[in-house]
Amino acid sequence: MSEPAVHLNGLCKTYRVAERESGMGAAMRSLFHRRMQEVQAVDGLTFDLVPGEVVGFLGPNGAGKTTTLKMLSGLLHPTGGEGRVLGHVPWKRERAFLRQITLVMGQRNQLVWDIPAADSFELNRVIYRLPKADFRRTLDELTELLELGPLLKKPVRNLSLGERMKCEIAAALLHRPQVVFLDEPTIGLDVTMQRRIRTFIAEYNHRSGATVLLTSHYMADVEALCKRVIVIHHGRLLFDGDLADLVQQFTAHKTIVVQLEDCHANLHSYGEVLNCEDGRFTLRVPKAKTARVTERLLADLPVIDLLVEDPPIEEVIDQVFTQEPA
Amino acid sequence: MNTLRLMAVFFRVSVLNETAYRVNFFLQLFQSLLELGTALAGLAVIFSYTNSLGGWSPNEMLALVGVYFLVGGIISLVIQPGMSALIDSVRDGTLDFTLTKPEDAQLLVSIQRVAIWSLLDLLMGTGVLVTALVRLGQSIGAAQAAGFVGMLLAGAVIVYSFWLILASLSFWLVRVENLLEIFQSMYQAGRWPVSLYPGWLRFALTFIVPVAFATSVPAEALTGRLNGTTLLGAVGLAILLSAIARLIWQLGLRHYSGASA
Amino acid sequence: MSVPEELSSLLRLYGQQFKTTFASMVQYRASLFIWMIAQVLEPLVYLIVWSTVSNGSGGSVGGYTAQGFAGYYLALMLVNQVTYTWVMYEYEYRVRQGGLSFALLKPVHPIHSDISDNLSSKLVTMPILLVVAGVLAVIFRPTAALSLWAVLAFIPALILAFLVRFLLEWTLALAAFWTTRVNAINQVYFILMLFLAGQIAPLTLFPHWIQILADILPFQWMLGFPVELVLGRLTQLQALEGLAAQAAWAILSLVLVRLVWRAGVRVYSAVGA
Repeated sequence: MSEPAVHLNGLCKTYRVAERESGMGAAMRSLFHRRMQEVQAVDGLTFDLVPGEVVGFLGPNGAGKTTTLKMLSGLLHPTGGEGRVLGHVPWKRERAFLRQITLVMGQRNQLVWDIPAADSFELNRVIYRLPKADFRRTLDELTELLELGPLLKKPVRNLSLGERMKCEIAAALLHRPQVVFLDEPTIGLDVTMQRRIRTFIAEYNHRSGATVLLTSHYMADVEALCKRVIVIHHGRLLFDGDLADLVQQFTAHKTIVVQLEDCHANLHSYGEVLNCEDGRFTLRVPKAKTARVTERLLADLPVIDLLVEDPPIEEVIDQVFTQEPA
Repeated sequence: MNTLRLMAVFFRVSVLNETAYRVNFFLQLFQSLLELGTALAGLAVIFSYTNSLGGWSPNEMLALVGVYFLVGGIISLVIQPGMSALIDSVRDGTLDFTLTKPEDAQLLVSIQRVAIWSLLDLLMGTGVLVTALVRLGQSIGAAQAAGFVGMLLAGAVIVYSFWLILASLSFWLVRVENLLEIFQSMYQAGRWPVSLYPGWLRFALTFIVPVAFATSVPAEALTGRLNGTTLLGAVGLAILLSAIARLIWQLGLRHYSGASA
Repeated sequence: MSVPEELSSLLRLYGQQFKTTFASMVQYRASLFIWMIAQVLEPLVYLIVWSTVSNGSGGSVGGYTAQGFAGYYLALMLVNQVTYTWVMYEYEYRVRQGGLSFALLKPVHPIHSDISDNLSSKLVTMPILLVVAGVLAVIFRPTAALSLWAVLAFIPALILAFLVRFLLEWTLALAAFWTTRVNAINQVYFILMLFLAGQIAPLTLFPHWIQILADILPFQWMLGFPVELVLGRLTQLQALEGLAAQAAWAILSLVLVRLVWRAGVRVYSAVGA
């Protein structure tokens, strides 16, 4: 088997945070004796990414996603465990390593604010020592894929949030990195822009074969882009596998949508009624009982239409998070 | 070398940045001229009462003022903007972007911002300096000129290292922005020869906040006052301080990225 | 509200402001320290420079010996500390950040919180500065011809100097309503203060025409006059004339404050908070 693009084994990161209570007394005391608390941000994370994979990295706020990405891009030293990206130890920050990766952070800009994006691109060209011809070719391709044409000459501060994000992503990909870390790239963007960026990431991965590790709050991002998801919570791995399997494994229920004439019927004996609109009932039913309930519904009621669905993925994920780690 | 190309492109970015605000040029011109006028008027008042200030003739003092503006211009052109931006980027986390780039981070943060309108101060200072040299009449020997350039370079390295050490403190301490101002507050003392000051003040201006190496020492070299000890001391301090600054910078980076101490 | 009620509520306001100022000063210890270095260094540098000139010119220059200069500049440092303000920076910041709207909403004229903030800060920094001045006095051995009437007259002179300086600088601060280029305006002001208030040199060392100019303009009355008065360098007549000039400028600046504030509020509200 070829070397994984990203390899983590028992990766840990512990922060020491100063504890401080409010009030004058505590403030005075803290001058002399600071009580330190240990926060386990990442706790024994282990997984491998195959070159060319697009993997979703999910978890609630504070789960350790950003910390993990920072360690993998060399910004943070772990407190334990090992990690390798493209054969390098990231926190050694070797030049050869840095030239092959990129980090995009959804809420922070690297573009220079008052000048056109094109000039910031030029800056990156020199920093990454890209030959002019290669640079031109890459930029043209990115401009086409991201529809950057009219945006390049405008000062970055004049761009909308979505336009700025597109330029940030372009700037991050000018050096054709092999591994792309995306930290909440679609946060704060409108739905259309989110979709465009998702399409772009998929297309980019397809064309360049780059490995993409993407964190996001939006299930739509993960559904659209990632076959494989890694779920972490409290810094620990909860799930690593196909998204479909995640739904299978962590849900104990299915959703039955029954279309009747109106909402007058009482369906509580069949399952948990989540809501009803224009005669369209949504029921939650334990997985094991799905077949039987469906049978009974069809037999007892004048069903116009019936649909059996997996619960929405958000619900599944919530389910996953509320489970305490084994 | 790529370093030069990097400097050129950062300079270009800063020019583009600043020329977006054209009014700043005229404003800077106005303010720089006012500052120069004040310094010259001050000299005029002093020299209406004496012919020599602690052994310095009017034209020699003029040369000192020229060096003061020249070095002040260098500091506000390339040293202060970068260091100030460094402190901001540590606080808001944008330093992370710099750290993912395949170039030496100290180089990147040092050249990242150029306040190009400070070129005016630089030009003004040079103009005053040249005027003073012309008025001094004496031909500047090769040794003196070399000494001057050498001391100017040593002074620039010392001041840069000092600022980098102060800015690096932001890796450990929280409110550091004002710390940089300590140099600016004390720099005004550099308008006069350090030899005028009592020992304790001279010490503070040499070894605590190195203002003396920025202005007095190069001016002394130019006016033939420099002795060998000071010259060697300046060079030695420049080397030592830049090594210390590099060390503190790297320690700061390790602290920022949570490496074991 | 009756006059005693108004006064007592103002006093309470000042008292409250003191607590707030003190708390924030504890936070900004470092910048305070650095600021104080600048406050001490500037007069100290001129002290040394002029002492050098005086020593090299046969012991005295323009009626000041080296010790005379020491007395002048130490007194200047302390008087400056009492009359100094930073409102120009405050207002530029407030207008830029939009924080001025809060001030406009309050039923009290904003100048009161500015005065009380100013005085509260000085209550904290003055003792430190006195200690520093004491140490410098030991080093530089100042001399002065102190007399009882002069010291007594110094008290109203100092109060009037503070009033004139605060009111005029507060009016100047309102320029922030009209332009963002306040730095340039402030710089011009500081330079005028430098020359015409007796900072770069005691005013008697300047050519006659500059001294006349300094008499007409307010700067001298904010700083240099009380200094010369307490050092015993003025005759009783000159002292009386000076106090009258201060009083005149105090009244004039009060009028200016009213006019400019009203105009400024109109401009500010028109543009939109």
